[in-house]
Amino acid sequence: MQLLANALIAGSLAALIAGGLALVYGVLGVFNMALGQLALTGGYIAWWLHQVAHLSLFVSVIGGLISGALMTWLTFEVFVRPFYKHHRFLPLVTTIAWSMILDGLILLVFEERPRSILSGGKSMIPIGSALISKEQCIMIILTIASLLLFAWVFHCTPFGRKLRAVVQHESAARSLGINSAVLHRVIFIVSGVFAAAGGIFIGIDQNLSPTLAFSLTIKAYAAIIAGGKGNIWGAIICAYAIALLEQLLVGIHWFGAFYVPAGYQQTVALLFIIGILLLKPSGLFRSVSRTA
Amino acid sequence: MRKFFTLSSLLALSLTACGAGDNGPIKLGMISALTGDAAAIGADQLSGVQMAIAEINAAGGVNGRQIELIAEDGKCAGADGATAAQKLVNVDKVVAIVGGLCSGETLAAAPIAEAAKVIMLSPSASSPDITKAGDFIFRDYPSDAGKTKAIAKYFADEKYSRIAILSENTDYSQALRASLKKDLPEGAVVFDENFDPGTKDFRSLLGRLKDAEYDALVSNPNSDGVNAVIVQQFRELELPGQIVGTDTMDSVVIAQIAGEEADGVMLVNVPTAGEGTSFEADFTAKNGDPKSSIAWAAYSYDAVKVLAQAFKAVGTDGMAVKDYLYSMQPYTGVIGSFHFDGNGDPVGLSYVLKKFDDGKVVTVKPLPLE
Repeated sequence: MQLLANALIAGSLAALIAGGLALVYGVLGVFNMALGQLALTGGYIAWWLHQVAHLSLFVSVIGGLISGALMTWLTFEVFVRPFYKHHRFLPLVTTIAWSMILDGLILLVFEERPRSILSGGKSMIPIGSALISKEQCIMIILTIASLLLFAWVFHCTPFGRKLRAVVQHESAARSLGINSAVLHRVIFIVSGVFAAAGGIFIGIDQNLSPTLAFSLTIKAYAAIIAGGKGNIWGAIICAYAIALLEQLLVGIHWFGAFYVPAGYQQTVALLFIIGILLLKPSGLFRSVSRTA
Repeated sequence: MRKFFTLSSLLALSLTACGAGDNGPIKLGMISALTGDAAAIGADQLSGVQMAIAEINAAGGVNGRQIELIAEDGKCAGADGATAAQKLVNVDKVVAIVGGLCSGETLAAAPIAEAAKVIMLSPSASSPDITKAGDFIFRDYPSDAGKTKAIAKYFADEKYSRIAILSENTDYSQALRASLKKDLPEGAVVFDENFDPGTKDFRSLLGRLKDAEYDALVSNPNSDGVNAVIVQQFRELELPGQIVGTDTMDSVVIAQIAGEEADGVMLVNVPTAGEGTSFEADFTAKNGDPKSSIAWAAYSYDAVKVLAQAFKAVGTDGMAVKDYLYSMQPYTGVIGSFHFDGNGDPVGLSYVLKKFDDGKVVTVKPLPLE
């Protein structure tokens, strides 16, 4: 039960970042390697607004999301848009460069020590046999709600239909008068907002440190690759699945005989992905729209 | 004949060029974590070193020569520590290096300094492995071999007989873990897990402690940021038992992040050197509050002062400085009175038990070793 709660916490975090990433990959075919840094930027700005500027938590979180959107917009205009039409691998390099610049900027502006948006104790609520804090509950619910909201937009609105059209066949969609350039920008920014939400999540639940970014990016990529490249639902489900697997690995007394040493927690989860890919090379939930 | 003259005058010229170096500044290298998870400690070390150098230079330098600092970022990592040492030794040609901060970077840099006969004096690396790292490798920070004895003594005093250990997979944490397991009575360790660097989610791992019978958890990561998370999640799960940390627990950052949840956490470390002294007042006037702890600045400050004393006595030749340090009379600095043993480890520095109380780290009692 506690393990399940732990997996929900870790999985919600991973799903926020991976969901946006999968969308960007599905629509633009672009790898954004600076995503972890964008997440941290959102988290750090929310931290700054709350702990230094002493704004209320709600305003700080909104501020973090908006700044995440602005940073992602900047990323798109400067490091992605001029390149991705030439070859969709070009942004891979440009966003790595941008991620390094952002790493340096984060260090410079927010310094090297760990930062926590909400410091101090959290009141724990027992649910069944699991202990979970109020903040964690809210974050899990918000994550799932925003993912559901997104699903509704994606499947039940005209905007979502345009989106799906661009995913399925871009030039055909364009010939029907859909402005794909604008859609690309919107999608990219949405992914940044999701990532910033992930960063804020970390800042509230754990703490932010400048070195965290790369491992965030890697985990998100693991989820989208296992989930079927570009399939947003696959990515989200896999993000939760990987989190659950990681928690189960170290938390369960396997066969009543041994524990998996915690040092292998991430390794075993990634091995599991390799296993999936060996059996289903295109991922658990194959995307009909685009293959790499 | 003319050729000979040209050659010899060239030779003379080059000799004078070399000679001029003896009056130029003394190049002192430094390896510390200027970025990365341990960078709060690195910032305090850098301030401490800069303070010592500024004082020496203001007082006329070492035998009339100014000290010039070249600081490199070892990022608390082996590979970066080695790169930093290569640059300092081969490009800058420093006469000595203060550093590294972490044991991993120090151990990686040590062979490079040793081969070039450049003195390395670490103000914070505590791995027992550094004792045997080389003849030119010194430290003014005690080895973990003594610290784990102090921890074992504390556990024996408190009758904590069942110990859980949670260690990061780094040189420092693993060496401490091995040393602690050696010093604890047989069968005392009931839980012994390692995690990868970068982990910040310990809920499932700590959750297993619910069913384990233990008296104390030794939290043994490589940085204060990770310690803060362990303390928070330990409290969130409402686990019983005492949390005991070491050096990386001795940081105000943990109280800032974990708030009142940090209260009651115990730690065994060297004394908070410099606390309440004029050194601290000078430091704060110049740099503001320490980013991690005044002690890091104090050890670094004394490291520079000891090196300067050696340069003053025997010049900057590596061999001469090495011999001087081994036979040095006890030096009394901010951190106490110490000299070096035959392995370059300090003699005379001891450990104390501290605890978090109302958001501050306070000293409880000394843990003298027999």
